[in-house]
Amino acid sequence: METTLERIEEIYAYREMIFTQVHRNLRGRYKGSALGFLWTFLNPLFQLIVYTILFSVIMQNKIEQYSLFLFVTLIPWIFFGTCMSEGSGCLRDMEDMVKKIYFPREVIPISYVVSQFINMLLCFIIVLVALLVAGRLTNPAVFVFLPLIMGIEFCLTIGLVFITSAWCVYLRDVKYMMTIITMAWQFMTPVMYSVDMIPGNLVKIFYLNPMTSVIVAYRDILYYQQAPEIDTLIIACIMGIGSLVVGWHLFNKLKRKFAEYL
Amino acid sequence: MQEEYAIEVDNIKKSFRVYHDKGFTLKELSLFKKRRGYEIRNVIDGLSFKVKKGEAVALVGHNGCGKSTTLKMLTRIIYPDSGNITMRGRVSSLLELGAGFHADMTGRENIFINAAIFGLTHREIEERIDDIIAFSELEEFIDNPVRTYSSGMYMRLAFAVAINVDADILLIDEILVVGDAAFQVKCFNRLREIRGKGTTIVLVSHSTRQIEQLCDRCIWIHDGKVRADGKPCDVNPLYLDFIAKRGSEYKDAKEDKTKYFEVKRYGSGEAQVSEVRLLKNGEPALGFDAEDPCTIHVDYTVRECVADAVFGIKIYRNDGVLCYGTTTRAEHLNRIELSEDGSIEFIMPRLALISGEYTIDISIETGEEYPVDYWKSVAKFNVTSSIEDEGTTRMEHQWKLGKMD
Repeated sequence: METTLERIEEIYAYREMIFTQVHRNLRGRYKGSALGFLWTFLNPLFQLIVYTILFSVIMQNKIEQYSLFLFVTLIPWIFFGTCMSEGSGCLRDMEDMVKKIYFPREVIPISYVVSQFINMLLCFIIVLVALLVAGRLTNPAVFVFLPLIMGIEFCLTIGLVFITSAWCVYLRDVKYMMTIITMAWQFMTPVMYSVDMIPGNLVKIFYLNPMTSVIVAYRDILYYQQAPEIDTLIIACIMGIGSLVVGWHLFNKLKRKFAEYL
Repeated sequence: MQEEYAIEVDNIKKSFRVYHDKGFTLKELSLFKKRRGYEIRNVIDGLSFKVKKGEAVALVGHNGCGKSTTLKMLTRIIYPDSGNITMRGRVSSLLELGAGFHADMTGRENIFINAAIFGLTHREIEERIDDIIAFSELEEFIDNPVRTYSSGMYMRLAFAVAINVDADILLIDEILVVGDAAFQVKCFNRLREIRGKGTTIVLVSHSTRQIEQLCDRCIWIHDGKVRADGKPCDVNPLYLDFIAKRGSEYKDAKEDKTKYFEVKRYGSGEAQVSEVRLLKNGEPALGFDAEDPCTIHVDYTVRECVADAVFGIKIYRNDGVLCYGTTTRAEHLNRIELSEDGSIEFIMPRLALISGEYTIDISIETGEEYPVDYWKSVAKFNVTSSIEDEGTTRMEHQWKLGKMD
């Protein structure tokens, strides 16, 4: 079996495949629909509207500018959530290719996550415009932390997608399970509420969820315009890298029999 | 020197679990565990061979013999359970054409997607794109979405990409049936050109003609092992012979040297053909080269004496065209009196048929053309040839170049 370095070299040699697959995912996805690429933005916007109505009009809370409070975490969450619920099927969706052609199998999950990541980056343009309009861009220096937390979230996500997409080859139920798990996960992560609202004795348990630290950091940077707490960053960083390492090795073990099980 | 080999396959084994009823969901996996019986099938069982750099090798074998599995292992889509495969150089496989094509994207975009799957970098694709487009003959349509293409255009584009990868080792699985006849010739010529450049080629094909035209070596895989390995003109007849015999085994396992098919047979039956054998230099055979000698040996039994018997023979091509027919009467031979069991041989020093599959009719008639025993399609045989001539028979000939006087 190849070493980690050999695998990385090979994936690098196939970088054009990652680019073209990402291009295919992004451009091909909404081809033929009337609004086309606009759906990339409309989807999160509609979710934002629904949640805002639900949590600030019906179930009132005291958070100021709740829609922005939600928006800055909803976009990173949609990236993560989509990768969790849909990403597990990415190898199955490319069944024909995996069964017929050799290429480093990692390319498929990487391409999927990168495509979703680019969607998130594009949505962040709107987030920044919204922050600007609302007059919340008071401390632009804090944005130096943004690439860091995005990188951490990317590692966390890709590691988990490596695991779920490989499992899904062997067991189709994984995809359906992931849909339910993702829904529960969203409510167990402080996306729509703040960490302060969690009862004190449960906070520690909430931080076992890697997404808690990530979301809290995003909100600190974007909504509160302050540097995230160093503890939060360290927890997020450890969990992100841990996920990547575990996913990378598990995927390597499972990938040899992909073509036989698909 | 080890490096002269592009491919080394060393004692590989591969078995698959064949489930009687395969379950993929959790319910099926957990609840019905006991119900899900499976058997282990050893598809590849100790296969070894080496391919030199620049060699063109064909893998032949009946369906399920493991040749496609071998090709998949060479491509590294699946891995052997034990043993080693060493490949030296960039591998390109023509196992699946048009992988990753997106119907809504243009031909040009799809060239990039498809070529990238073969591991080309952006620059390498840009260097090749003009060749690819020219080869596909789709210049006018290249910026249209591929969903507007006909299936022939689609395959042409896919083949054009795959063939322009410039691999060191090219693996091909039965895909030389792309597009119209003209495009097939073009593909074939391109493959020859690639071979000429020193690319190692491994090809799986059922077409003995393609194999003889393109390959300089042929490996016959049987039950997951190498059964024969040599020049296509030596291995192909052995293989075809085996395939033909296998067909007869279903009917009669004992008489594997003779071929009896579903036959139409009629006649009064005073004398009867009991066995028909095809011999090549005295040995039973069912596959011949066009230049081989061939003897049709007919045994007969006699119940009642036939005073003036006439033997006849007809050779049909498998599409029903009569290639040759003659009788002892037509050739003004002496009357034959059949009084006891015996045999008659029809000796051809040179078979002189062109490549194809043939059947034989044997007849015994009386002098008044009354059928005693007429047996249609009593035997079947194959002819292969490295010469691509056409028609029904190869006429005795030579070419002579002369000056105008």
